[in-house]
Amino acid sequence: MSILVVLLSLAAGAYALAVIERWAVHGHLSLTGPAWAALALMGRESLLARKSDRLFFELGPVLLLVAGLMAVAVIPLAPGLIITDLATGALFLNAALAYVLVALIMAGWGPNGAYAMIAGWRFLGQFIAYAMLIVMPITAVAMRAESLSTVEIVASQAQLWNVLYQPVGFVLFVVAAMGLAWLPPLDLPDATGELAGGVEAEYTGVRLAVLRLARMVIILALAGATVTFYLGGWLGPWLPPWAWSAIKILAVAASMLSVGRYMPRIREARYLALSWKLGISLALANIFVVGVIALVVPI
Amino acid sequence: MTIAGAHAGAMTGLRRLISTAMARDLTAFVLPGASVARSMGLDLAGSPLRIVGTPRHANLLIVVGPLPPGLRDAAAVTYAQMPRPRAILALGAGDIAPLPDADVSAPLTRAGLRSGLADLRRVIAAGAFRADSGEFNAPALEVRVEYTCPMHPEIVRDAPGDCPKCGMTLVPRETASDGHGGHGGHVMPREDRPNPADHAHAGHAQDAGGSGAYICPMHPEVISDAPGKCPKCGMNLAKAEEVESHGHGHGHGHASHAPSAHGDHAGQDDKAGGSGAYTCPMHPEVISDAPGKCPKCGMNLVKAEEVESHGPGHGHGHGDHGGYGKQQDHSGHDGHAGHGGHSKAAIDGIEPHFMSMVEMTKDQPRSSDGLQMDWIKVPFGPFFPGLPAGLRLTLTLDGDTVAASDATSLVGATDLMDGPQMRVADFVERLATMMPLSPVSYRALACAAIEVAAGVEPDHDARRGRAAAVERERIASHLNWLAEFGLQSGFLWLAARAGALQLAVQGADVAGIATQAGAIRRLSRRVQAAPLMRMRLRRIARIGKDAPASGPVDRARGGGSDARTGDPTLKDLGFEMRVRNGGDALARLRLRCDEIAQSLDVIAAAGRIAVPQVPDVDRVSGEGEARIETPRGTASLRVKLANGKVVEADLDTPTDVNIALVETVTAQQELGDALSAVASLDLSPWEVRG
Repeated sequence: MSILVVLLSLAAGAYALAVIERWAVHGHLSLTGPAWAALALMGRESLLARKSDRLFFELGPVLLLVAGLMAVAVIPLAPGLIITDLATGALFLNAALAYVLVALIMAGWGPNGAYAMIAGWRFLGQFIAYAMLIVMPITAVAMRAESLSTVEIVASQAQLWNVLYQPVGFVLFVVAAMGLAWLPPLDLPDATGELAGGVEAEYTGVRLAVLRLARMVIILALAGATVTFYLGGWLGPWLPPWAWSAIKILAVAASMLSVGRYMPRIREARYLALSWKLGISLALANIFVVGVIALVVPI
Repeated sequence: MTIAGAHAGAMTGLRRLISTAMARDLTAFVLPGASVARSMGLDLAGSPLRIVGTPRHANLLIVVGPLPPGLRDAAAVTYAQMPRPRAILALGAGDIAPLPDADVSAPLTRAGLRSGLADLRRVIAAGAFRADSGEFNAPALEVRVEYTCPMHPEIVRDAPGDCPKCGMTLVPRETASDGHGGHGGHVMPREDRPNPADHAHAGHAQDAGGSGAYICPMHPEVISDAPGKCPKCGMNLAKAEEVESHGHGHGHGHASHAPSAHGDHAGQDDKAGGSGAYTCPMHPEVISDAPGKCPKCGMNLVKAEEVESHGPGHGHGHGDHGGYGKQQDHSGHDGHAGHGGHSKAAIDGIEPHFMSMVEMTKDQPRSSDGLQMDWIKVPFGPFFPGLPAGLRLTLTLDGDTVAASDATSLVGATDLMDGPQMRVADFVERLATMMPLSPVSYRALACAAIEVAAGVEPDHDARRGRAAAVERERIASHLNWLAEFGLQSGFLWLAARAGALQLAVQGADVAGIATQAGAIRRLSRRVQAAPLMRMRLRRIARIGKDAPASGPVDRARGGGSDARTGDPTLKDLGFEMRVRNGGDALARLRLRCDEIAQSLDVIAAAGRIAVPQVPDVDRVSGEGEARIETPRGTASLRVKLANGKVVEADLDTPTDVNIALVETVTAQQELGDALSAVASLDLSPWEVRG
């Protein structure tokens, strides 16, 4: 039952995100737009590039979707409303999202096009830049909750949300999440003006629809993770827990989607340098500080 | 009534619904580009359609204005890259062959765009599917077959034959016919025909799984029932099972992976020991007393001493070659200028001559860090989002670093004259339409040159009005540049805002510009203060003091070239040349913002804007030269009049100077930086004369 509810909310969330993305990219705010666009994609020719690596080409978008769905499985929307409350949920989320990299490299290599290939390798090059900054802030979150279970992590924030308890970790996590979901200004693997769509460049028709859907699911999963780890999950006054989850997740996802509209894309070299040198040091400092606070002032 | 690019299939109920969806969800790819469309006054961003950056994601091709001959073939390639159903909307385009006839044609006006889109919706909703959809063919789409040696990729021939280095039979590979970058980078168009067997899966051995079949180790698509030679490379065919059992799922370009390369090698040293013996570098068991060809693979035999140093470890080192095999598999990742990364041959235990990677790659170019990587040549443009439309930039990429670049204009070098002599008014008109990105400046330039030649002098008001018209174009052009930069760098707010302001300023009168002035100044402040902006542009595309440069590119490095400085009319209007130091892309952005502000002031001081009028010259003869500061730099025009007609004309443009900088500013830059660098020069391919 709760699986069905989560999947339905996921579908609704993905649609809402598509509406927001359309606004952020094209400036059109239309509630029906994504529905028509999806329908139109169904009828379009689904091209296969000559000499493509068919297996990689076909599997890339599907694997991306699977990775997103697995990540969603450990996001609690309300007490009891979670697909599976793993004892190692926070770690599992990481493991699921690791496949995003694999999927993008497959999608980049598969179609045998230069833009897509460069885009795939770019993403591979960024791996440490975002992956460390996903894992290390989660470590600090788990330290406070004394558990890797996402439900426990939400419960641990009853007194004070982690966004205030460990703001540095929050910022690092959100930035890394945007890098992982290749959202502007960190959209290096599909940079329209540099690579004409990058990994998406050779996908058309139904395959493109799957790829886009998968990306929406990834963004939702990451927004869900941000809310779970830092914004108190379903916690909040007056409204029912599921409503708080929905509001928070959509708000986080909407901000992640639209912030890139107001700044240029970061340079790849700068992104790597900042993540490695500044990001990882800050993340270590964050772990240390959280550790000290957790020992000294238990809240 | 169906569209020319209808998708195959009968019109069923579901397809009718999908057609309606397609008609509502127009995704457009614009030719030659959105910046040209804006310069022509079309508000595409404000239309009910989405502009996309790749033809793969578009269902509508919008052709804006007459399509220059140099872009025709690339346009055909772009069209072929769009998935069906696909439609063409031609706005004032005239002849667009080899593209098929436009599904809807409309005049090049805002009203034309509106009505054209409305018509197009009806046409798509009614005719997106057709039972017998035809193929689209154009000469530009043909692929050329060239022949190359599997071991020596630098050997490329037009005809089949043997490799001059190793004697192996050259293998065919497809390349795009020259000069058709199309959208660039994409593999050549592929129509997804119902029969997937159509696809040339060169190199998937699993395709050749028939039991008892013989296949070529290099060309798995070659299958035969009987043993024999491969018609493609002359190698002996091998049993299919044998090849598969080696687990090489794909057709390695490596003769070394030929089946017999395993197992048989024990004791090769003994066999190859005899002095004066000849052996095959790939098949050491083949020994001959005389030079000749290997009976197994057809390679030239080499002296045995050369192979003597072979260690016994034949199964090894294959991991090394995996990358190579993949690369071969992907020979469509065309133009691997070098095969790199395998230069380990000097290590004991890995037979140095076996693959002889050192030998193979010793003449290949190396990266600046001394490593060898695959170099790929990637075309960008002439319709690349974020680069000037009509510019074809070919980057040789070493990893993601630019090793070499080549910028060519596909739209420039049009003759100034369309005959031995032209009427003055026609000449002015021709020059203005030749330069769609800055027509007013070139109109003013043509008028000024003719006035000098004819010895007439415009009055005070006309001069002020003309100066203001050029300054208005400068504002619009710089805003256009900002919009393009926004698009390239993903700063979409900037792209939308600057584009809208450009459309508002273009053609506005003094009062109209005054009402927009506040918004324009706010925009230019906000651009410069945007987060990540400094990081993105600082130290990118630095240009030194001594490289020739024109216009904002020169003034942003502290240079002093500006044709406006000596102009008394502009001096009266309070003009002072703006200069920035730094010489990088950030300085150029800031300088353009400064110039926008300055031009707003000049227009306000002039009080009137008058598009230059063709001077009235009455059968005079003479010669004259004029210079004008166009938005991109100084342009100068010499004309010769005879009996009131233009008989000779010679034009120098700023882009001619600045395009030469492309190589310098992209060298050894990361791909994204290189594209920012090219964009920062604000080239107009239409201005390229040489």
